[in-house]
Amino acid sequence: MILLSKRTKWLMSLIFALVGFMLAIQFQTASSEPEFRDTRDQWEVRQALQEQQKLQQELLEQIAQADRTLEEYGEVSDAEKLETLKSSIHQLEQEAGLAELEGSGIIITLAPIFQEWEEGAPAYPTVSPSLLTHLINELNTFGATGIGVGEERFISISPVRNVNGETYINNRPMPPLPITIKVITSNPKKMMDYVNASRSRDMFALDQIAMEVEAGQHIELPGYEDNLQVDILELDRSKETGED
Amino acid sequence: MWLPFAFLIIGVILGLLTDLRVPDAYTDYLTIAVLAAFDTLLGGIRAQLEKKFEDIVFLTGFFTNVSLAALLAFLGVQLGIDLYLAAVFAFGVRLFQNIAIIRRHLINQTINSRKLKKNPEK
Repeated sequence: MILLSKRTKWLMSLIFALVGFMLAIQFQTASSEPEFRDTRDQWEVRQALQEQQKLQQELLEQIAQADRTLEEYGEVSDAEKLETLKSSIHQLEQEAGLAELEGSGIIITLAPIFQEWEEGAPAYPTVSPSLLTHLINELNTFGATGIGVGEERFISISPVRNVNGETYINNRPMPPLPITIKVITSNPKKMMDYVNASRSRDMFALDQIAMEVEAGQHIELPGYEDNLQVDILELDRSKETGED
Repeated sequence: MWLPFAFLIIGVILGLLTDLRVPDAYTDYLTIAVLAAFDTLLGGIRAQLEKKFEDIVFLTGFFTNVSLAALLAFLGVQLGIDLYLAAVFAFGVRLFQNIAIIRRHLINQTINSRKLKKNPEK
């Protein structure tokens, strides 16, 4: 048995306590995760706040509308219930682009620029899929609520493809030029300015296609005719709305 | 003999309760100080088993080792060399040596006491 003098014992004990203290601090330091620092400046925080407020307002509006629909269902007779149901379906169809859409907007006419062809140049200009996609992306960015290319309604899942050298929209070939693209928007004048100043005009000109834009108060878009194939879509359950 | 270990536990509890955290820049110093402390403790136990324990040596050994290790780490940081690794290595080797010696002493002790029990007349 180890024999220690009383003084040594206490000394050892104190040193042990010190070591234990150091160990605990070391353990805490090693196991503590790096602190998450908010490095956004005032402007960024304000912007984030504004975004959240906007989102909140949108959600509140949606809730109010859903409440109204629910009330209509609740208080009226069967016939009127059917009416409400029909109007709900119509509204959904309009949002999905299945129903015809009317409103103010702009009409873009794409026509070939005729000039003396050089040797080997294409005989007649065609709209390439990439160019069309670019234009449609731009229109959507500018705030289009509905787009129709020729007699085809362009919805969010409409494909634009190159099939044997021809451009296909909604799996149907695009008619030859000239062609009209109808765009419905809440502010046609602004949209017209945007399109006039956009890069698409130059890019179309490079392909020997002229772009003419005019505003219209009463524009009709056809509905999307095919079935909506949304089998590939999956519900994202990772984050519910309102959860944060 | 249980008193030091009781104090060790008290120290750990105190450390956990104070919720102290060392800034990232100084973690190396703390690591090496803890290693030095361990080394000194084991050295003390070993000296005790060899019956060469002197509290003044133990006390000065503890504080000099810890501060020397910290100094070495500091020097390493200033020179841009990971000098604290040298200290970690040295202390690590000494830790193992000390533990080995302590183990041998303990084994010898138990063997001796058994022999004494078997033939107490010798």
